[in-house]
Amino acid sequence: MIQPTTPEVGGMGHSIKRKEDLRFIQGKGNYVDDVHLPDMVYGHVVRSPYAHARLKSINIEKAKALPGVLAVITGEDLAKANLAWMPTLYFDKQMVLATGKVLFQSQEVAFVVAEDRYTAADAAELVEVEYEELPVLVDPHKATDPSSPILREDREEKSNHIFHWEVGDRAATDKAFQDATVKANVHAVFQRCHPAPLETCGCVADFNRATGRLTVYLTSQAPHAHRTLFALVGGIPENNIRVVSPDIGGGFGNKVPIYPGYVCAVVASLTLGRPVKWIETRSENLQSTGFARDYHMTAELAADKDGKIQALRVKTLADHGAFNAAAQPTKFPAGLFSICTGAYDYPCAFCEVDGVYTNKAPGGIAYRCSFRVTEAAYLIERAVDVLAQELKLDPVELRQKNFIRPDKFPYKSPLGWSFDSGNYQAAMDLALKKVGYTDLRKEQDEKRKKGELMGIGVSSFVEIVGAGPAHTFDIAGIKMFDSAEIRVHPTGKAICRMGTKSQGQGHETTYAQIVAQELGIPAADVLVEEGDTDTAPYGLGTYASRSTPVSGAATAVAARKIREKAKKIASHLLECSEEDLQWEPGKFFVKGAPSKAKTIQDIAFAAYTNLPEGMEAGLEAVDYYDPPNLTFPFGTYICVVDIDKGTGEVKVRRFVAVDDCGNVINPMIVDGQIHGGLTEGLAIAFMQQIDYDESGNVQGGSFMDYLLPTAVETPHWETDKTCTPSPHHPFGAKGVGESPNVGSPAAFVNAVVDALAHLGVRHIDMPIAPWKIWTILKEKGVVS
Amino acid sequence: MALRIEKTFQVSQPIEKVWGLLSDPARVASCVPGAQITEKIDDKTYKGSINVKVGPSLTDYKGEVQILRLDPQNHEIQIQGRGQDVRGRGSASMTMTGKLAALDGGATQVTSISEVNVVGILAQMGSRVITEVSNIMFDKFSQNFQALLQQSADEPVVAKATTAETAVVSPPVQPPAPIEGGSIAWQAIKQMFGRWLRALKNVVSGRSA
Repeated sequence: MIQPTTPEVGGMGHSIKRKEDLRFIQGKGNYVDDVHLPDMVYGHVVRSPYAHARLKSINIEKAKALPGVLAVITGEDLAKANLAWMPTLYFDKQMVLATGKVLFQSQEVAFVVAEDRYTAADAAELVEVEYEELPVLVDPHKATDPSSPILREDREEKSNHIFHWEVGDRAATDKAFQDATVKANVHAVFQRCHPAPLETCGCVADFNRATGRLTVYLTSQAPHAHRTLFALVGGIPENNIRVVSPDIGGGFGNKVPIYPGYVCAVVASLTLGRPVKWIETRSENLQSTGFARDYHMTAELAADKDGKIQALRVKTLADHGAFNAAAQPTKFPAGLFSICTGAYDYPCAFCEVDGVYTNKAPGGIAYRCSFRVTEAAYLIERAVDVLAQELKLDPVELRQKNFIRPDKFPYKSPLGWSFDSGNYQAAMDLALKKVGYTDLRKEQDEKRKKGELMGIGVSSFVEIVGAGPAHTFDIAGIKMFDSAEIRVHPTGKAICRMGTKSQGQGHETTYAQIVAQELGIPAADVLVEEGDTDTAPYGLGTYASRSTPVSGAATAVAARKIREKAKKIASHLLECSEEDLQWEPGKFFVKGAPSKAKTIQDIAFAAYTNLPEGMEAGLEAVDYYDPPNLTFPFGTYICVVDIDKGTGEVKVRRFVAVDDCGNVINPMIVDGQIHGGLTEGLAIAFMQQIDYDESGNVQGGSFMDYLLPTAVETPHWETDKTCTPSPHHPFGAKGVGESPNVGSPAAFVNAVVDALAHLGVRHIDMPIAPWKIWTILKEKGVVS
Repeated sequence: MALRIEKTFQVSQPIEKVWGLLSDPARVASCVPGAQITEKIDDKTYKGSINVKVGPSLTDYKGEVQILRLDPQNHEIQIQGRGQDVRGRGSASMTMTGKLAALDGGATQVTSISEVNVVGILAQMGSRVITEVSNIMFDKFSQNFQALLQQSADEPVVAKATTAETAVVSPPVQPPAPIEGGSIAWQAIKQMFGRWLRALKNVVSGRSA
């Protein structure tokens, strides 16, 4: 139960305006490219035009001769310092600058440093690289063919196979399939896409020869983890490294890995003793930094004749590109993909994933999703629709028949997770009512008679976020706790520092609201600071919807520690025993005598001026929070589409999103997050793909080909919510930022397939561009 | 990125005269905008270069041209060219089959079928740009080819031997300038949009019909 606070205090549940927007809307944000240091110089990366080629020679003389050029660094130079390769976040290594051969188009080959950005770019054109083209492996299905080239000569294992991972009960699942009366299967490719944050990646590396300190201004979602990795890889004492993440213009997982450009800038600064700035171009960002998805999945469902699901079997091929640079918790090579059993209650499941190398950019990052959860949610929600088609059942009815009932929580899933809480039927009921489902089905029937194409798509997704319990979750060995440190100043204002890092999520507002809720200090009086490793407590950063579940929890727990001390001070000030005191947000008062009260501001002042004897001064606390479990947000999304038969264009007529993320900190920010995530989901479903041709040329390497949704393409989003608090989180929150990206692709695709279901269509792979629909309509004879 | 481009044009000259030009790689190369034969290795193999500038992107391919097949009876020639950009921006290869057919009235039809494969920066621009660029290059080629036919069909190619093994072929009729960037990009865009507008018109008129 959340105690209400006044709008002036602005605790949980208040839609207060985002504090950070004041500077953002004035153009006063401070991003990495806004960092200008005295004597700063600029780096530019020379990249490979080939997807697979041997490096025969690199001639840097012409580039070095250009006036203003300070250095040209090649892989061979780095190799002398043992820096030509760096570890990825998942037990692999990656070339910083290529030596021997290149493995994907746009791979980093050399790094040019010059007095200004333009000279650096011009000089990069003068670096002459001679290549010998090698056979290219693009299709992940051919990765283990004997005829395919072995890409990674550096590995002991001479194979393009990276890992095999399986979970669940294979024997029981196979038996359930043997016994099942109804089976359905779908092969669904979740295409390679890219988060494409508005701000590309970049850094300013500043090595001070006088002090021996290295400061790196970095587009980093995880500044502390990056500091530790710089220390481990670069051999620089960690106390001499300061990572600063200033304002970040969108991350979505793209800013979790360490990229070669960062390392080159650091090396260049160490070499030159001057600050070195490196900022990616848009195409560099799309072509070389962490992509997402590229999961080639098959799901099979076994059910009885009434539609009660008995088992799920999943087989997936994961294309990781040239290096396994997935940002994944150590024990989970396929992330949390095993959430693929979904919102449904059945006894057994089996899931296996194989990862392979191809001549494509490395990655496999969690694009606005908690490590492969989007792929999993998409797969099960597609599979359930295909089963509904097989059974000739309404997809809503089939879902309702199989939902995990509220009294079954905490629910142990057949693939081993313990779902904390849920009421899937409630979210579904609200969505059905809001969209007017029954009437829509009637309308669809009438339209079909007239030959018009209309579809309704439902997605009842379950997420798994907030990694994670430290006993199970770590990234590169560092446990996935997170932290908060609150200091209350003598005048009752406060500063709150976190181990996470906002990239647009509104942390400066929401963390302040948690402090406001727990201590009664108005949110306006709480400064939230993140991203500077010299000042913030250690944390693993912001991704996987973990800020609210982990750092948010740490904030509440730290605030409660402060409240404990405040209580002692209050009893001293009010000359009563602690047991006689009662708390309401903002003050302690004597039970039965509300006028005998001390506000948190009174107490804060006393903490520095009038302390009980023996108590240490100050009013501050730090908490490193290790969540007992993950959280499991969910929701039901319903999408209504109309299809233009002439052009194959899909128009999203309505989209109802009912989310349940437990208790909400700021409803307006939650709405904003859902709007943003749905818009990204729309783009993935209809517009976006990083494709490669047979020679390994990127076909989605600029915004000419990789389309971003604008206001023109984006429909009106209708949002609503139910509230099922997390039982283990200090204030019952679950995290929401990723739900719309996780839950929406299936709703869009299900709607399009539903519009064409009467023609025998069962699945269409994303992105559903008009030509795909048009081709189907031609094949089915709907249009000539 | 593999593309197949088939083109046909007609010239007013008789077939043997046209064949005389088509079967001479050096002179054919001089008609290709931005291209140049720099060295003759043997009767069938030449070294050469071609500059292609699309918008801000200049690629300077250097490589070899080889005559795979020369069939005077049927007036067919097959040429293969392969080149790498000197600044490491990628590579391109092309196999072109040229065919002549005699038309009534002493004219000749020239048909070329080219299989082009582009790897690297240019290939990222996608087939819609590459196809348009190829179209424009080919239009210029056919203009140059016809101009050359009219102008100097009878003049023999003067080969100045520099060493015993190699011969530098005479300068082409026109000095090889890179294909003009701005205008090519603009023409390509105009053509793309022109097609799109025509397609749109068809859809609209198809609907109202």
